[in-house]
Amino acid sequence: MKEIPYEGDEASVAAVALPAIRPVPTAADEGKWARNLGLKDPTGEAARGPWTGEVPRGSWRSVALSLRPVLQHRLATLWGEDARDRVRVHALWLGGSGTRGVHLYASLPEGSLELPTLSPEVAPALYFEREVAEMFGVEFAGSPDTRPLLLHHRHRAPPMRGEGAAPEADRSRFDFAPVEGEGVYEIPVGPVHAGVIEPGHFRFQALGEQILDLEVRLGYTHKGTERLWQGRDPQKGVLLAESISGDHSVAGAVAYASAVEGALETPSLPAPVEAARGLLLETERIAFLLGDVSGIVLDVGYAAGAAQANVLRDRAYRLLESLTGSRLGRGTVRVGGLSRPLPTLVPGKIARELQELARGTEELLDHVQGVSSIMDRLRGTGTVPLAVADALGMVGPAARASGADRDVRRDRPYGAYRNEEVRVARQDAGDVEARLRVKVEEVREASRLAQAFLKRGALGGAVSVDGGVPSVSGERFGLGIVESPRGEFLFAVSIDHGSLQRVHVREPSFLNWPAIEYAVRENIVPDFPLCNKSLNLSYSGFDR
Amino acid sequence: MSETEVPPETRHSSYRPADRVRGPIVTHPFPLGPARPPAGPARTPAHSAQRCEGTGACALACPTQAIDVKGKGRGSSFRLDLGRCVFCRACVEVCPTGALQARPDFELAVTDLRDLIVMHGSPRGSVAPSVPERMRAETQERVRRLFGGSLALREVDAGSCNGCEVEVSALAWPNYDLERLGIHLVASPRHADGLLVTGPVTVNMRLALEKTFRATPEPKLVIAVGACGISGGPFRGSPEVLGGVASVLPVDVWVPGCPPRPEALLYGIWLALGRVEQRLRRGELPDGERTAPARKA
Repeated sequence: MKEIPYEGDEASVAAVALPAIRPVPTAADEGKWARNLGLKDPTGEAARGPWTGEVPRGSWRSVALSLRPVLQHRLATLWGEDARDRVRVHALWLGGSGTRGVHLYASLPEGSLELPTLSPEVAPALYFEREVAEMFGVEFAGSPDTRPLLLHHRHRAPPMRGEGAAPEADRSRFDFAPVEGEGVYEIPVGPVHAGVIEPGHFRFQALGEQILDLEVRLGYTHKGTERLWQGRDPQKGVLLAESISGDHSVAGAVAYASAVEGALETPSLPAPVEAARGLLLETERIAFLLGDVSGIVLDVGYAAGAAQANVLRDRAYRLLESLTGSRLGRGTVRVGGLSRPLPTLVPGKIARELQELARGTEELLDHVQGVSSIMDRLRGTGTVPLAVADALGMVGPAARASGADRDVRRDRPYGAYRNEEVRVARQDAGDVEARLRVKVEEVREASRLAQAFLKRGALGGAVSVDGGVPSVSGERFGLGIVESPRGEFLFAVSIDHGSLQRVHVREPSFLNWPAIEYAVRENIVPDFPLCNKSLNLSYSGFDR
Repeated sequence: MSETEVPPETRHSSYRPADRVRGPIVTHPFPLGPARPPAGPARTPAHSAQRCEGTGACALACPTQAIDVKGKGRGSSFRLDLGRCVFCRACVEVCPTGALQARPDFELAVTDLRDLIVMHGSPRGSVAPSVPERMRAETQERVRRLFGGSLALREVDAGSCNGCEVEVSALAWPNYDLERLGIHLVASPRHADGLLVTGPVTVNMRLALEKTFRATPEPKLVIAVGACGISGGPFRGSPEVLGGVASVLPVDVWVPGCPPRPEALLYGIWLALGRVEQRLRRGELPDGERTAPARKA
């Protein structure tokens, strides 16, 4: 991977003992950088949160571009906020283990909603900026792509400004990037696909069997969810958080609840509640990842192996159901705790089931890697090199399969993970096989963690809350970041006098989607499903 | 690795597929036999008019405004729309009198939306009576004649959160094995006898859903899945969603749930085929045996 030069000022360079090869900036570097910029240094519970401060819009670009090489932080999310006579654009930059992150924002007065673009240098900024542009009417000067992202229809006014406008009937055009040349042809796919999957449009440019380029158009499942949150009671917002990506409802609920709890400065939850949340999160992870294993195996035509993975997957959902009454674990996590304690089942029985799930998954991998016709399809297919994964700011198992060492559970531990070491799975190859291996390893680790949480008293006894959320005065802000089965799942929540003022959600797929456009290049069309399944990107999580 | 090279660990494999895939039968008999009762805490709300004191706590706690309580005390009226319900139990947990209890029932699919309304007391604007028995029987007879108990379904995600997709896919897993019932999830609407539609129908999916419906040959059935498919569910009220499948297509069967468990979907599909009796009438489930008796195809 390309070396990133370390351009800190001399004092900060001297402050760290620099390893010879690649200096990893520490929390001290971050603090120094942030104080230099005059960012706030909060104390108490909020001190776990990021360094925060306003940046004059003239320096928006220069600050962002200096931050990257100095701190090696990545752009985790960028969002807009309607502040009546102005629009605020926020950017959250997160770094490695131990750092707090940097939250910068710029205020744009009505009448000159303009900000310089970051996307030529910071790849993930492009989707974020396109969304803020269409939702808030902000113009990102110099942006290489100004097409709409989620909206397929014209709106009279930007939907996230003021009262917000409803879509109008006329459809806006969308121009795909063409590829020209003799024998080059286009394959349009979707939004309605052949399998039981979410809707999205794929535009392939192919030459023979080979994919030259792929462009993905999303937005089909856009439900205006962020707008729906506004003005609601925080407790009722949990349901929408569960419905961002229904296949990891628990992760959404926990991330949202922690953001709200952070904003309300809720004191730490009792250990059994944290353990219970941890148990649900890890059980959900097992069920989810087994779906990926099944999908990968099915897409090379090995139905028997897929069936076996699905049998295991159903057991994992059954386990979640016996804990919560819902196969997807919905309706249990609440702001401030859980809606009710988990039932007092026999911990030994659940631990055994968790062990069986891990053992079954590993046996399946063991079996699959003995079938050369399967391995031949997986190896070297859909490769995403580390440099690309880093440049795109990828997260989750897909990033770890490319060698990125990134896991929220370890880097920014929350809840029960504060007291539990997480072994982060990693592979280097970045291909479908590497992703399969990472996922199987993560099933094993999830099973181990879930068993550890059982021992910490996840079952029974956990305190529940009955609907109410403490009413606090003034405007509060909270961040909730959880490692979902797809990776870093992030909520930024502002609460004003007890009701939700702005909820921004960044599902991991928002960062990972561009990877598929890269991964399929020079692969053959029939391997597209493999690339797709192994990255397992959420359409609804992207569109919301 | 070159294309002809065999991965090293596979070279001398003594692998025999049959050794690895043998296992016990995991397919649940339902709907041909009794259903497994759902595990864990029950989630379907049931209301007792005798115990209700009209506190309205349930209506306040409901995240989807599925409950409406008018008046106070014994004389109040209670209305619950299972088409909006996400089965989160919030109402059951806050009910101070125990009038709302959770039951494990999942056979909630109906052919008439009005059967999803639980109504006690007599509020103004009460629901119209549901379709007469005779008409139901005639429709079911016609469907049986047309499809012969077998059905090819095309699933369309019209903006779902992907939760319903988990459960629809599960129908193809060995545990539920939809195909043993002669029901197939097919890849194209052209091959389909009907659509299984999830999601609140987003503005952006409307055209695709309409086109998919038009591409499905007549006669055809439409099954609306989940709280979103019935009423828009958690997303009801957003200007970016139309608020349920019926806003675009004629719906034959409604399957409540968030998401409906695979058995609930199987029941709904069988109801569409007229192979099973509808259990939920005007919001009430019969007491006694849990599973409806299956009918001959």
